[in-house]
Amino acid sequence: MRLKSNSYTNGRLWGWNPPLKSSYDAVIIGGGLHGLATAYFLARQQKMSNVAVIEKRYIGFGGSGRNTAIVRANQRTQENIPLYKEALDMWPVLTRELDFNLMFYNCGNLNLAHSEAALKAMRLQVASAQFQGVQSHLLDPKGCKKLIPALDISDRPRYPIYGGMYHPPGGIVRHDAVVWGLAKGAAKLGIHIHQGTEVTGIGVRNKKIVSVQTDKGKIYTPRVLNAAGGYSAALSYEMLGIKLPISVLTIQAMVTQPLKPLLHHVVSSGAYHCYANQTLKGEIATGSHMDPWPNYTNQSTARYIKHQAEAMTELLPCLRGVKFMRIWGGLADMTPDMAPVIDGNNIITGYYMDCGWGYFGFKSCLVTGKYMAKFMADGICPGILKPFALRRFEQHRLMGETAAVVNYSPDN
Amino acid sequence: MAFTIVCPVCGIRRSYEFRFGGEDKGPRPEEDTLTPATWCEYVHLNNCVAGIQKEWWFHRDGCGSWFTIYRDTTINQQVENSIDETNP
Ligand SMILES: Cc1cc2nc3c(=O)[nH]c(=O)nc-3n(C[C@H](O)[C@H](O)[C@H](O)COP(=O)(O)OP(=O)(O)OC[C@H]3O[C@@H](n4cnc5c(N)ncnc54)[C@H](O)[C@@H]3O)c2cc1C
Ligand SMILES: [Zn+2]
Repeated sequence: MRLKSNSYTNGRLWGWNPPLKSSYDAVIIGGGLHGLATAYFLARQQKMSNVAVIEKRYIGFGGSGRNTAIVRANQRTQENIPLYKEALDMWPVLTRELDFNLMFYNCGNLNLAHSEAALKAMRLQVASAQFQGVQSHLLDPKGCKKLIPALDISDRPRYPIYGGMYHPPGGIVRHDAVVWGLAKGAAKLGIHIHQGTEVTGIGVRNKKIVSVQTDKGKIYTPRVLNAAGGYSAALSYEMLGIKLPISVLTIQAMVTQPLKPLLHHVVSSGAYHCYANQTLKGEIATGSHMDPWPNYTNQSTARYIKHQAEAMTELLPCLRGVKFMRIWGGLADMTPDMAPVIDGNNIITGYYMDCGWGYFGFKSCLVTGKYMAKFMADGICPGILKPFALRRFEQHRLMGETAAVVNYSPDN
Repeated sequence: MAFTIVCPVCGIRRSYEFRFGGEDKGPRPEEDTLTPATWCEYVHLNNCVAGIQKEWWFHRDGCGSWFTIYRDTTINQQVENSIDETNP
């Protein structure tokens, strides 16, 4: 259901409500982590603080407030690993810089293999990570059980555990804290965060950005960043006629009742389509596969509660009988190669985009914000972001972040 | 969210019997005039409509038909065609 954009603005929103000025040096669409991080680094590192973040609802309304907070750097490809490695290294730094506890818990991630083929794929992924200086190694089933004694490594599960890939430096970060910390930090440096304000149009003249239309008034600006998360592709097509290689799907996540500590690492399984960790409160937080068809519902379904219960009790039989307490959904902007679209200042001068993050937009927010800010200040794409250009789809240079194209395969 | 889809052969069935087949993008581009850009558009690029769109479905656990329907992506429901196709 579509709520009016001002339905949250009755004094209950975070922070100071600055006046909407008629012009800014840059306008950022979306008060999610990517928008907020870019704003923060524009002010902090590029000395551009005459910047507005326009957020339709409230900061963290999108995926940024709904994710399962998993961070790691052991991606598959040589283009992606350096970005995620730097991202992982930034959590402790930003915790100090923002003077805000982001609750980075580097408990390590264990990814399980349930076939010989999956183990082979992991060998390649481990080697790629090690080559780039990212800690990652293979474990046999016994090694997995040593890390997580509750794991069932017997032949009983439908897909027995063949081994795992362990990535010690990854873990969990408190996602709401990152939203609040960045917003607070950005506002302190002079950034205007306008919540309850919707971008309704983008003004272009002679292939140059000139303004942004909002439901609260028009803003003149030479630079716009599309960081609208799940809404970025629709916005890009509706307002500028630029189509993106994105499908918008709801991803669901849920938490159980609190339990005594039993899971000390992030555990994930591609075969069972689930990932889980135990929160500091003791709940098992677990995320599932995306919905099998595009939708903007943000809704949860009985199907995934059942699926998640089945998958989790196969891996961790001690969870049988444990109750789920809460379930929610959020939108994910999926691309065919599971790598983002980061581009700008070419199709339309002054128009930048940072979208298509799918499952990976939380762990990447700080580093992308840092380089996106540089990109927007200089107008030149920094080397580390270049591989993510939109052109790669036309050039058939899709990245190998996924072993198979995430399409809606017949067995999906 | 689960919903129902009307298959032209089998009638009204649960959505989980079907596979989503992508946004309707019109006919496949002609090979002889094909450019990387038009192929990319046909294969990868989407409108991502938040609202009613025309889209392909495959009755995977049924008769095997491919067909198009209109669906409101904000509420996940099949709807009657309300898009004026003479004026897209
Ligand atoms: C259930 C779930 C689990 C996930 N788990 C993980 C994980 O463990 N690790 C990980 O790295 N990633 C995870 N993700 C992905 C991650 O949450 C997202 O990729 C990330 O939050 C995207 O951030 P963003 O800033 O790009 O977009 P968002 O946080 O979605 O922010 C976009 C904002 O734009 C606003 N907006 C939209 N349209 C307009 C408009 N017209 N005008 C003004 N504002 C507008 C929206 O209200 C929204 O607040 C998960 C996602 C989900 C849904
Ligand atoms: Zn049928």
